[in-house]
Amino acid sequence: MAADGVANAGLIAPGAGVIHDIGYQTYDGPRLGRWKIAAALSWHSLRSAFGFGRGAKAKIVPVITFVIMCAPAVINAVIMALGRSHVRVVDYDTYVGTLRVFVLLVFIAAQAPELVSRDLRSRVLPLYFARPMRRVDYPTAKYAAFVLACLAIIDIPVLLLYIGTIMQVHGGAAVWAQTRALFPGLLVGLMWAVVLAAVGLVLACVSGRRAYSTGAVAIFLFMTWTLTTVLTKIAAAGSPSGTGSGAGVGVRVASAGGVSGAEHLFGLISPFTVLDGVRQWLGGTSPGIVADPGRYGPVYGVMLLVFLGVSLGALVRRYYSRVSIA
Amino acid sequence: MTAEPSDDGQPLATDQSQSAPVIATKALTRRFGPSITALDDLTMAVGSGITGLVGANGAGKSTLIKVLLGLLLPSSGTASVLGLDTAGHGERIRTLTGYMPEHDCLPPDVTATEFVTHMGRMSGLPPTTARERAAESLRHVGLYEERYRHIGTYSTGMKQRVKLAQALAGDPRLLLLDEPTNGLDPAGRAAMLELISRIGTEFGISVVVSSHLLGEVEQICDHLIAIDGGRLLRSATMSSFTQASQVLAIEVDEGVDLLAAELSRRGLNPVGNERELLVVISGEGTFDQVRDAVAGLGLPLSRMEQRRHRVEELFRDAEERFSGSNRGAGPGGRPPGTPRDELTGAVDGR
Repeated sequence: MAADGVANAGLIAPGAGVIHDIGYQTYDGPRLGRWKIAAALSWHSLRSAFGFGRGAKAKIVPVITFVIMCAPAVINAVIMALGRSHVRVVDYDTYVGTLRVFVLLVFIAAQAPELVSRDLRSRVLPLYFARPMRRVDYPTAKYAAFVLACLAIIDIPVLLLYIGTIMQVHGGAAVWAQTRALFPGLLVGLMWAVVLAAVGLVLACVSGRRAYSTGAVAIFLFMTWTLTTVLTKIAAAGSPSGTGSGAGVGVRVASAGGVSGAEHLFGLISPFTVLDGVRQWLGGTSPGIVADPGRYGPVYGVMLLVFLGVSLGALVRRYYSRVSIA
Repeated sequence: MTAEPSDDGQPLATDQSQSAPVIATKALTRRFGPSITALDDLTMAVGSGITGLVGANGAGKSTLIKVLLGLLLPSSGTASVLGLDTAGHGERIRTLTGYMPEHDCLPPDVTATEFVTHMGRMSGLPPTTARERAAESLRHVGLYEERYRHIGTYSTGMKQRVKLAQALAGDPRLLLLDEPTNGLDPAGRAAMLELISRIGTEFGISVVVSSHLLGEVEQICDHLIAIDGGRLLRSATMSSFTQASQVLAIEVDEGVDLLAAELSRRGLNPVGNERELLVVISGEGTFDQVRDAVAGLGLPLSRMEQRRHRVEELFRDAEERFSGSNRGAGPGGRPPGTPRDELTGAVDGR
């Protein structure tokens, strides 16, 4: 009885009598339009790219890749602070090229499926498309989110590098010089994010099975990278009369237009080397991660647009053609 | 993020939905390629309240729902939902409509609260409202205590409730529920049907609930639409529908053919096989006629059972009405009327 009294006391609103059941409440307030809904989806996806709102397991890969990516910036700051070096030991525009390639390879292969493959697997897409957003909004929102996620992984360490450096240099001119060097570095990071997010997402949405999606991304990025590295080295070694298995490639290279041209062109195979080639073509001075594009800079520029255009086109198409409601 | 009124910012209550049909289609046809016609010259109107959409698998129910959501354009004809043409106002219609698909559509590794909140956001609710409405929706479907558990740990019945809650979260004026009782045990079915009934009556939301089992939806519907092969078979109020679908099953140990002939002579139009005959019950007289026929032939009667039509039988009757010579004699001996005529009466009568 006493308990009843307490319960009832809790239900009595001031001056309004006893509330039994407020029943169904309609919502007559404002509703967000299509673009704000897409923005909400983007934000939700960006969080999931780093495992926020998921369990601890979902945070392992993003955290580890981010920490590894920050390591050079920290090491640079420590070296400069200890006075071992008075100049920056890491470049803004390439950062540590090979490290960046492999960290991004792991991050994209692990996290791109998180954004698109899960929704395919759980067949939640019909619920999205039965809501105000249009078909094109979904891949657009996911792409925007993943560009930001990749940008965070690439450019936050660059910013850390900058902060660590300016704390050790003296004088306004020195800080300004660092700042001027920083901006191209950030823009290169943006370029990487824009292209790699598109390539990663389109490969990740091949399947609702996460393992397959991760495999597709990892295999594509790793194989093209390996191919580019190996072929460029063979071409650079440049002896068409060599023997063994590598010779076949070498001979074809030689007949295709000279060793020097080929060693510049093999960089077109991998998105990573295409990005680095464009950086060098646009005036980047740091040494390239595999090869320099030589006089073929514009070809790298075109290839970059091809990678981006084909990926985005295929990504949008995927959500028009094959994913149906019910 | 602040909620600014967009073009969707007006209050959603549409006065016209009370008088105008919630759903209306006119000669609606949808083809896939040259050979497949999923919806064929479908003309119907659905008033407010709970409407059952019955049809066998492949009858065109899902295609109809896609067209109503503005996700598929009609090949010809028109469809309107809540007074809005689906061809031009898909976005607005989808704001005002909640959809519960037939298939599984829930991610296992998020909680029901997170999922329904997110889906509320996708319906255009501001963040705080989405959270409040998610909690409310889950409470309405009876999942308040368990709402912080991962959906992967839920039973089938609970998952169905989450699917319903996400459709309810955006405060729809119309709910499209595709086979909501699929995969549920009898108790779960009853609970789900009761919930839908409550949504349709107490919450004041119009509901279209599709099913391949007439016996299931007839308990809760005000109005019933039967489609098959993309064509409208019947559209009528529930009372006229069930009246028409009462049948009497007669089993005799021998002489089925003789009995069939005798019943035909008496104008009962029996259908059936070598084991049993079905006649439509048009009143008390039907029982007397059957009794007299069996007694007159001196056949050993083993069973007489009154039952409702299964949907398949309903379709068969309607097929006969469509194609057969006895077009004038509808089941139950009621004046046949076109489906449209019956419907107009039904909508006006509400």
